[in-house]
Amino acid sequence: MEPTDLSSSNPYLLEAIGLTKRFGSLTANLGVNLKVRRGSIHAVLGENGAGKSTLMKMLYGVYAPDDGLIRMDDERVVLHPPMKARGKGIGMVFQDFRLIPAMTVLDNVALAVSREGWRFRRKELRERILEVSAKYGLAVDPAAEVWQLDLGQRQRLEIVKTLLVPHTRLIIFDEPTSVLVPQEVDAFLNMLGMLKRDGYGILLITHKINEVMACADEVTVLRGGQVAYSARREEIPDGDSLIAAMMGGKELMPISKPRAESEAPKPEALTLERIVIKGDHGETVLQEAEMSLRAGEILGVAGISGNGQRELAETLFGLRRPSQGVLRIGDRELQGRGVQAFMEAGVSFVSEDPLKESVVPGLSILEHMVLDGYPLAPKRLGVDWARIRSRLSASPEAKALALADPDRKADRLSGGNVQRMVLTRALVRGPRILLVSYPSRGLDIGTTRTIQQRLIALAEQGTAVLLFSEDLDELFKLSDRLVVLAGKRLHGPFRPAETDAAAIGRLMLEGGESA
Amino acid sequence: MKTDTTGAVLVPADTALRLRERIKPAAWTAVIVLAPFVLYGLFLSAYGINPIQLYVTMVKSAFGDLYGFGEVLIKATPILLTGLAAALPAKAGLVNVGGEGQLAIGALFSTWFAVFYLNQAPAWIGIPAMLLAGALGGGVWAAITAFLKVKGRLNETITSLLLNYVATFTVGFFVHGLLKDPGSFNWPFSPEISPALRLPVLNGTRLHVGFAIAAALAAVVWFVLAKTRFGFRIRVLGGNRLAAERAGFRLNAMYFWVLVAAGMLAGIAGMIEIAGIEGRLRPATGANYGYLGFLAAWMAWNHPLRLMLTAFLIGMIGVAGNSLEIGSGLPSSSVHILMALVLFFLLGAGRRGKR
Repeated sequence: MEPTDLSSSNPYLLEAIGLTKRFGSLTANLGVNLKVRRGSIHAVLGENGAGKSTLMKMLYGVYAPDDGLIRMDDERVVLHPPMKARGKGIGMVFQDFRLIPAMTVLDNVALAVSREGWRFRRKELRERILEVSAKYGLAVDPAAEVWQLDLGQRQRLEIVKTLLVPHTRLIIFDEPTSVLVPQEVDAFLNMLGMLKRDGYGILLITHKINEVMACADEVTVLRGGQVAYSARREEIPDGDSLIAAMMGGKELMPISKPRAESEAPKPEALTLERIVIKGDHGETVLQEAEMSLRAGEILGVAGISGNGQRELAETLFGLRRPSQGVLRIGDRELQGRGVQAFMEAGVSFVSEDPLKESVVPGLSILEHMVLDGYPLAPKRLGVDWARIRSRLSASPEAKALALADPDRKADRLSGGNVQRMVLTRALVRGPRILLVSYPSRGLDIGTTRTIQQRLIALAEQGTAVLLFSEDLDELFKLSDRLVVLAGKRLHGPFRPAETDAAAIGRLMLEGGESA
Repeated sequence: MKTDTTGAVLVPADTALRLRERIKPAAWTAVIVLAPFVLYGLFLSAYGINPIQLYVTMVKSAFGDLYGFGEVLIKATPILLTGLAAALPAKAGLVNVGGEGQLAIGALFSTWFAVFYLNQAPAWIGIPAMLLAGALGGGVWAAITAFLKVKGRLNETITSLLLNYVATFTVGFFVHGLLKDPGSFNWPFSPEISPALRLPVLNGTRLHVGFAIAAALAAVVWFVLAKTRFGFRIRVLGGNRLAAERAGFRLNAMYFWVLVAAGMLAGIAGMIEIAGIEGRLRPATGANYGYLGFLAAWMAWNHPLRLMLTAFLIGMIGVAGNSLEIGSGLPSSSVHILMALVLFFLLGAGRRGKR
């Protein structure tokens, strides 16, 4: 369990020199140098598509580099395939966890930690799990089945798994805090500190500047597949210099949100009265929810993902019928009506998984624009694509969001470009009510800011925005009011000025039971 | 792999690589098309038949004279229509294996109308009326599948397949009873339809205008899918049901009418079999054409115009069976082996093609 110290004089666990990786005509990494010291935290920052994931996948052996070399213990090593990387003591905690939901925690660990011999030493493994989780504050119950765990617990399990693989000494974390609430983030950073003191080398991929500033010893910033900036923590003046390095020459738009608290409340655009929503298996997901969304406001919905966000959003767009209660848009009752009725009432929807729910394989971006976006402009029996194209190219939304070439096939786009496409589509419709789930998921800081600014502008023009997000920062910055989904209930509303992230985080975790 | 313009560096495209990438799929297609013929050739050699000679005869019998060419087109006509009956729903994400039954019921309806109501009718009324009756029959049969799909959430693949057997027995019930020819000495077939209702035939062949009707319908289906708003919606629905739902499409209505339209196409094939070839309904009228059409649709990746080619190819293999029997003594049904090989290779390629 302890990192095996070979007590060499070399302070570096791993040195990557001139790593290059190409995919067809695309160069994902070009001449990247990266060194990780024993017992230190090395943060890797970069926008989307900057090449962070490719670099990490080379270090974990998923890809073989096209050029360059990797040294460990003063000798050149080959890490591809991942089996070899694990043999050299490199572990990785993935963003999307590689766990089998139907199996217990213990069995999932057993899959990763195979020992010699044919006997499955269940008891021994159980003790080792408990030992490691006690040591690093990674509470997991070996007997629990994985599907019962929330995302934070699953992440702890992933970490335990990695630590139990023999000889692990370098751990790569891929955006680890994106699924955690503030209290969990603190605990996580604390644990990183303990790992570091025990001599592990940590590679931390992240978007979040404040976490880097709080815990990293060294920072490398990637841009366009190359190292744009590299420094020790002491040499970095402040977080803004890191943002500047990530963005290159691009300007970062500041977020400004006017707060008009003194005005009389605007008319209600959407109201829920005693709404009960059932999930896919007939289980109750939300009980007796009361909510009102006013014209011209952004109402934020906080909650650990999987607490009914998807079901609530689908209900508000007519994709799912509430089993009880009244759903009113303006003064019309719409419960029990289909998607068309909601679209006619001016509701627009950006789903939480656009790749799965919005992208039609084989169709271009332009063709996607008429699905809940522009009207399907007729031209005899067909579609007037030329007109839609000119409307799209003239639209300020497409420009602001840097929409990709309209002729590109949507199923070939990266996640960020898909997100741009669905957001552009929702915005060009000029909706009266916008339901938007995780707008900044998978986007870089620059685009995230642009989108946030657009949402604020949209609300100022009188659109009612319901914002689902797992990023509390974003919710506090944008929302006029906040509600929290936890424990099958809708809590709130709260005013961001009258509460704080810690209180909301506690509510998200405890479901208001102790509150 | 990310192709995000904001991030990664673009290097000039390697032209040789491009070329190889373009040739590769074409080479695969060639392998998939040729391999069944090679394997079947080995089978023929084992029986002491020269496969090359046979393939030459096959091509000659199809293209050698107008009569042979006409025979191929006659075979291809119902396959083209039942192929459309599979391809159109496939574009909407549906699997219609019911071309067989829809054809049979289309043949039943058109014979019923021809025998009982159109016996005295002149051709210009009678033939279109028979055509509509065939379309109605196929449409009604497909509507059962569509209704079960939309209201009962039953898988259309299963129901359309099972209804094929029901359709066969339904036709059998009628030709043994209500539709039986009184002068047939108890053989199970219907009375012959009036000569005025037979489709006009090209001189010197058995080729009738049915092929032109089928080709025109293929063009219509292509136009609807590629050029109209309804076709666009069908493609969205077939591409991603969830996206179609989120765009406010009425999925159930679309599923229903696409299936009914498919049934009508297959029903027209049944009418053409009656009015163009057989002249009367038998229990086995049009047997296997539904499945062959499904195969043709697969081979054409559900593209209506490419379907004309694949239907022709399958028609050619079918006609080759006859020359095989005459020339070599193997039963004509042994070409089914070739047909099955073609299907296997296509299904395998389909899995590959889906990444």
